[in-house]
Amino acid sequence: MTGAMLERHAAMNEQSSEERLIEACRHGDRDAFRQLFETHKDRVWSIALRFTGDDATARDITQQVFLKLFTTIGQFRRDAGFATWLYRLVVNACLDEQRRQRRFLSLDFFRAGDSRDEDDVEMEIEDLKQTGRPQEEMFSRIEISQAVNAAVAELKPKLRIAILLKYFEELSYEEIAEAMGCSMGTVASRLNRGHKELARKLAHLK
Amino acid sequence: MFRSHVNKKLSAYLHGELGGEESNRVADHLLDCRRCREEYEEIRFGASLAAQLSREQAPVELWSELAAKIENRETARRRPLLAPTPLKIALAGAAMMLAIGIGAFWLYSRQPRPAWDVTRIEGQPRIGSKAVGDTGKLKVGEWLVTDDSSRAEIRVGEIGQVQIEPSSRVRLVEAKADEHRLALTRGKMQAFIWAPPRQFYVDTPSAVAVDLGCAYTLEVDENGQGLLNVIAGWVAFEWQGRESFVPAMAMCITRPQLGPGTPWFNDASDEFQNALAIFDVSQVGTDARLNALQTVLAKARKRDALTLWHLLARTEGDDRLLVYNRLAELIPPPPQVTPEAVMRGDRGALDLWWEKLELGSAEWWRIWKGPVPSQTK
Repeated sequence: MTGAMLERHAAMNEQSSEERLIEACRHGDRDAFRQLFETHKDRVWSIALRFTGDDATARDITQQVFLKLFTTIGQFRRDAGFATWLYRLVVNACLDEQRRQRRFLSLDFFRAGDSRDEDDVEMEIEDLKQTGRPQEEMFSRIEISQAVNAAVAELKPKLRIAILLKYFEELSYEEIAEAMGCSMGTVASRLNRGHKELARKLAHLK
Repeated sequence: MFRSHVNKKLSAYLHGELGGEESNRVADHLLDCRRCREEYEEIRFGASLAAQLSREQAPVELWSELAAKIENRETARRRPLLAPTPLKIALAGAAMMLAIGIGAFWLYSRQPRPAWDVTRIEGQPRIGSKAVGDTGKLKVGEWLVTDDSSRAEIRVGEIGQVQIEPSSRVRLVEAKADEHRLALTRGKMQAFIWAPPRQFYVDTPSAVAVDLGCAYTLEVDENGQGLLNVIAGWVAFEWQGRESFVPAMAMCITRPQLGPGTPWFNDASDEFQNALAIFDVSQVGTDARLNALQTVLAKARKRDALTLWHLLARTEGDDRLLVYNRLAELIPPPPQVTPEAVMRGDRGALDLWWEKLELGSAEWWRIWKGPVPSQTK
């Protein structure tokens, strides 16, 4: 067999093995679910961790995703790709968490006459982050990869998730669009903005 | 060549997502257009940075935690289905349960349930589905609901009264001699209680307000966040071991899944209050939390020792030391309260320091459940 054929064969084997696992999970096989978990846990964890920037929240999100997977795997339609379905669960869990965090910060309810909107609150947080921390000093102490992680964590949630799906999972625009429930054009636009923001935030690394 | 700029297609071009013809046209345009070329370089640099993201390994204990959750869920789900039986037996069992349930409900409904007097103040408040006339009775388990133009007053047994403001929903949970309990799921109430501490409770979606002899207002928004504003006396907020004491002229927010936040005096600066809110909701170890803490400490007045004292129990390590130092500047601790004792969370030391804040003796708290509000997660 040629290298390409071998690769295709391996991919087919992998796919049919995953199908068998999913089928077993649909019948409540806990061992099969464990295998499915082991196969996908790092990708779910990595996205959740880089999205939230926080271990505890990433842990919650990862558990939510797999718990949801366990309870709804019976509804999984085989015509949709399993990975796409999984990514959709991850995206939804991350964005839900983001919305929840924003709700915690919304003090408007308690402040008659306070007209700040969510963007204002975000700007305040941003200002606080910058207080007394010159960027040069900050970046002299951390590695580039940490700087990238930090910059990604500061992207707006929908830009961040698009970047993570592209660079962690190497998904195509079509796959990202399916996972995020938007058009490919929107994915292209979000990645464009995400790239530019990263470049501007880390311009000193050029 | 494209007449119009291609800046919106640059990432797709970089990732090979454009068709051959379109890709060629973008390439041609880039040769001739300096502006798009510069933008392309910026995007390429951003992409090269993003490409350095690397996958992380999930913690090994994640499976055991998840397995436990699945097990709990499955146990709960299976419980009614234990001992599977043929359909006829199941139906017979269901019929028997229904008969028992109806009988129990009949007996329960004939028993006099404790009730509190309700007085209509304005509009048309309702108890369950019935409109309240000038007066009514709110029985245990019943809901009192006000629309946007109605208000009502509840007489809390013999110990106080509560005014229910418009657009509120409140349920009488318990009406015993030693436990008077309401649940406020939405809206606003004003309570005036003259009983000894710990006889009147209000459940909210994210904390229980425990009366310690006082007057206060309590609001709950549609997301389950609560705001406590104490007018006189003291109120404690509790949720899953997390506690806050709130004295007169102070406020405290409670948030779903986080529970009671850190209390503050209502005349503190906006900057102080905003930073405190950010501290309360930020994850431990993040820059946002540390920066917020630094702002809180920098903006704290002597009077804000209340807030800083609570922060001692909500910080650890270097953060706690920062709080210790600032609180010590504002209110020097008694000689026996050493930094070491505070750093290890010594309850007695914190209790002694509390006495120096001149907010009232901690004796009542010590008698009740120990000297210090529980540490947070």
